[in-house]
Amino acid sequence: MRPLQIVIDGFAISSLYAMGAIGFTLIFGVSGVLNLSHGAIMVVAAVVAWAAAGSFGAGPYLGALAGVVAGFVTALATYFIVVRPIQTSRAIPREEKEIFVLTGTLLWGIMLQEAVAHFFTSNPKTVLPLIAGVIDIAGERTSINKLVTAAISLAAIGLLWLLVNRTRRGKVLLAASINPRGLTLLGFELSGVYLQVWAIYGVLAGIAGVLLGAFLGVSSDNVGQLTASAFSIVVLGGLGSVTGSLAAAYVVGYLETLTAYLIAPSIRTVPVLLLLVLVVYVRPQGLLGRR
Amino acid sequence: MRTGRMAIAALIVLAALALLPFGSGEYVLGLLTLAFYFAVFAMSWDLLFGFAGEVNFGPSFLTGIGAYAAGLLNHYAHWPIWACVAVGAVAAVVAGVVLAIPALKLRGPYFGLVTLVAVLMLQNIITLFAGITGGEIGLDLPDVLSIDGATNYWIALAFMGISGAVLFGLSRSAAGLILQAAGQDAIQAAALGFNVAKHKLAAFCVSALFSGLSGAMLVFYMGTVSVGTVVDIAVGVQVIIAAVLGGRRTILGAAIGAVFLIVAGEILRPLGQLSTFVVSGVALAVILFFPGGFLGSFGRRRA
Amino acid sequence: MIQDRATLLAAAAMALSLAAPASQAAEPIKIVVIAEASAIAGVAIPNAAKLAADEINKAGGVDGRMIEIVDYDDHNSAADGVRAFQRAASQDKAHFVIASYVSEVVLALEPWAARLKLPMITPGAASNDISMRVHDEYEKNKYTFHGYLTSTAIADSVCDGAKDLLVKGLKVKTAVVMSEDAAWTIPLDAQYLECLPKIGIKVIDHIRLSPDTTDFTPIFNKIEGQKPDIMITGISHVGVQPTVQWANQQVPLAMFGVSSQATSSTFWKDTNGATEGVVFQAAAAPDVAVTAKTIPYSQAYQARYGISSAYCGYTTYDEVYMIAAAVKRAGSTDPDKLVEAMEKTDYVGTIGRIAFYGKDEKFTHAIKTGPGFVTGLMLQWQKGRQVTVWPTEVANAKMTFPSFVKVSN
Repeated sequence: MRPLQIVIDGFAISSLYAMGAIGFTLIFGVSGVLNLSHGAIMVVAAVVAWAAAGSFGAGPYLGALAGVVAGFVTALATYFIVVRPIQTSRAIPREEKEIFVLTGTLLWGIMLQEAVAHFFTSNPKTVLPLIAGVIDIAGERTSINKLVTAAISLAAIGLLWLLVNRTRRGKVLLAASINPRGLTLLGFELSGVYLQVWAIYGVLAGIAGVLLGAFLGVSSDNVGQLTASAFSIVVLGGLGSVTGSLAAAYVVGYLETLTAYLIAPSIRTVPVLLLLVLVVYVRPQGLLGRR
Repeated sequence: MRTGRMAIAALIVLAALALLPFGSGEYVLGLLTLAFYFAVFAMSWDLLFGFAGEVNFGPSFLTGIGAYAAGLLNHYAHWPIWACVAVGAVAAVVAGVVLAIPALKLRGPYFGLVTLVAVLMLQNIITLFAGITGGEIGLDLPDVLSIDGATNYWIALAFMGISGAVLFGLSRSAAGLILQAAGQDAIQAAALGFNVAKHKLAAFCVSALFSGLSGAMLVFYMGTVSVGTVVDIAVGVQVIIAAVLGGRRTILGAAIGAVFLIVAGEILRPLGQLSTFVVSGVALAVILFFPGGFLGSFGRRRA
Repeated sequence: MIQDRATLLAAAAMALSLAAPASQAAEPIKIVVIAEASAIAGVAIPNAAKLAADEINKAGGVDGRMIEIVDYDDHNSAADGVRAFQRAASQDKAHFVIASYVSEVVLALEPWAARLKLPMITPGAASNDISMRVHDEYEKNKYTFHGYLTSTAIADSVCDGAKDLLVKGLKVKTAVVMSEDAAWTIPLDAQYLECLPKIGIKVIDHIRLSPDTTDFTPIFNKIEGQKPDIMITGISHVGVQPTVQWANQQVPLAMFGVSSQATSSTFWKDTNGATEGVVFQAAAAPDVAVTAKTIPYSQAYQARYGISSAYCGYTTYDEVYMIAAAVKRAGSTDPDKLVEAMEKTDYVGTIGRIAFYGKDEKFTHAIKTGPGFVTGLMLQWQKGRQVTVWPTEVANAKMTFPSFVKVSN
């Protein structure tokens, strides 16, 4: 096997995984919500981008933009229709909010999935790549789309890092994840913070969905698998830890790629599942998580 | 007193259901037979969630183990049905204990993930060993419970009735109340001197026992065992929705939720793909506006 | 609930006519159709069955008995399929069942056909087990007919096509077999590995991939590294994803073989045209006159339903005619007599000449394949259309590949 090939392929898929998981972990870190409609939101973004670029003739760039907007709108809809009503409901006891958010977002995800299947069938779709074609990297033929996917993912993650660590607004988000009650004492409205984080999440999930659709292709049947995969990466890295999720995404991406290259493509996902079980038994806070 | 009234109401409903084969066609019976097995899945899940406070994202892991253990034995060794069902139930209990070990250490999302991964692993194993398990096309069984629709219906109804009685009784017993306390506040329950771990383990075993039993019974009703019917994540998701919809911590509510889901899905079938959309939408609305579920008011007043 | 009584009017009209004795006209021949109605391919089964039934009824039915089609949606689930089958037997008193294009569902129904003694035929499932079970326990399972190619026959069809197109046409010498790891590909791959060397193609490697695979880069790179002349495929659960990644990464090897998703008419749009050049096996195609009946059927279907028929529509249409002929030969709808009459089928339908293998042959009750019987077709996506490239007698285009593919040595 040519090692460079493994490095390039693993890097591209890992960056995409990181992009898919980062929004999921952000929402959990800041507002404590495990959003089980995550996969569905990404699929909505991808399918809208596919339809806009192909059926409506918008071309790859406008199509991708339409996809990101769709992800953003769907994320905000998720927040206003499902998450917020549960968080503010008086009929639901506090200790059970978690199971309600889980069930509610799960149902919402199924609704999105079925709506996509109804309007666009459940056949897998692929988004037009932003730049088609291949280039040669030290003898390895690599599709430009793959490099674009990795580059956009890393750029988006970098921007998020700057936003959180270098801006005042970002520091408020960070504070909310550490001590929400303290934040309210300082006069910040928690619901405003939550709205901001869902807006950021929507853009991230939208980009992730469009990239996923262009690189691998998605179907409404993938919704569960996509959510499970983001969930696994986030738990592996440590719930709520953004750095941990990044590290975990690369562990998962490379482990899968190595398995496919060196052992057998038929058991590609098995080592990751085993690692997950092992980590959860031995180090439940995840690779880089806080207790 | 509430408990007593609920039990009486349940008995009346069961008696009415038992008379159904005299007045209705094969179609309705077939639908309800499936719904009854499903109801046992949901009641087992509710016992674990409502009374041990553990969100099991992979109920189909336990039903799947029970179903495949029974199915493989019947297919290859031609054991009689009752023996296969018994082995299926035992296998599910063993699997339940394996799941319980992390559950006793982990909380919330972590345990949820373990259960989710368990289902994915089971699915992977079944696909990888397609030569033995039949993979995605499933495995046929030489034996079935009965070829008569009414007989199958009565078997399923009786099974649901007995399972429901046992699970409901357990949930209302002293042990059940301890579990309920432990589920809501484990530290306090332990402080009061209860061995929470022991009770939780028991809840896992009981939940797994009935999940495995119903999984095994279901495959002998259908004469086939396949991933799509007993293992798939979608099956587990339906179970969770059924239990929450019917009312958490009520056991009987889970059964009502399960029957509702299956019957509603069937009635809305002409809508095609949209039927699932509508059913999920209704379930979401119930959760948002009537968080107690169908039977919620009972549970709430008790607590 | 989802029953179709479209034929009822025709039946009523028949009852009024003096031609048929009233007693016979009163009892229609009931055929229950069980299929996934929400899928484009699945809905072709009930649609084609109704088309055939209406034609037969218009011509006077079978000895005056009308054909009535009742259809149920199995939601692609074995559980729903079994329930529908039980209902067909006990409530509808069906005489024959046409069931599903999914092996999982058909295999779940097969024991029920035996238990309830209700003859059944599948228009699209491929698992070898369907007909091998009939062979192994004939007396019990004889009620099941396999009205489609077995996995082994499909592999043979691909090999026959490869012999003409690849070995003679392009001098291909080596191949890598790439299939998804699933029960249906086990016999397919076994036959690939047997028949490819016989036609002069050496199989360098045999790769089975997880049906959950989303990133196919490592697989393509691995295959490319082994430097075969071509890839022989066996994929169904995956389709769009490998095809698009193949095109995006410009993998210089052609894909040839079974690719179930590529048979769908929407595949071009779903892949944004990445499927250009993909060659795949199919039982039937809209514009190809396999027999004199093929094009009239596909036009009638298009006219009535506004879309082109999926492959299982062709087989279903033939099967309704075969069932009608068997009832006529048997002179009754008694299941055992019907099975006996069905076994004597020798009928030229839309997909070729159809006859069933006997009880001493390996695939009892499967349709006979090969020269003189059903051969299958090799199609290719070219500029947004599915064209037929094999067999040569019926082909309407020549096989060509995108510029990044290199096939000739």
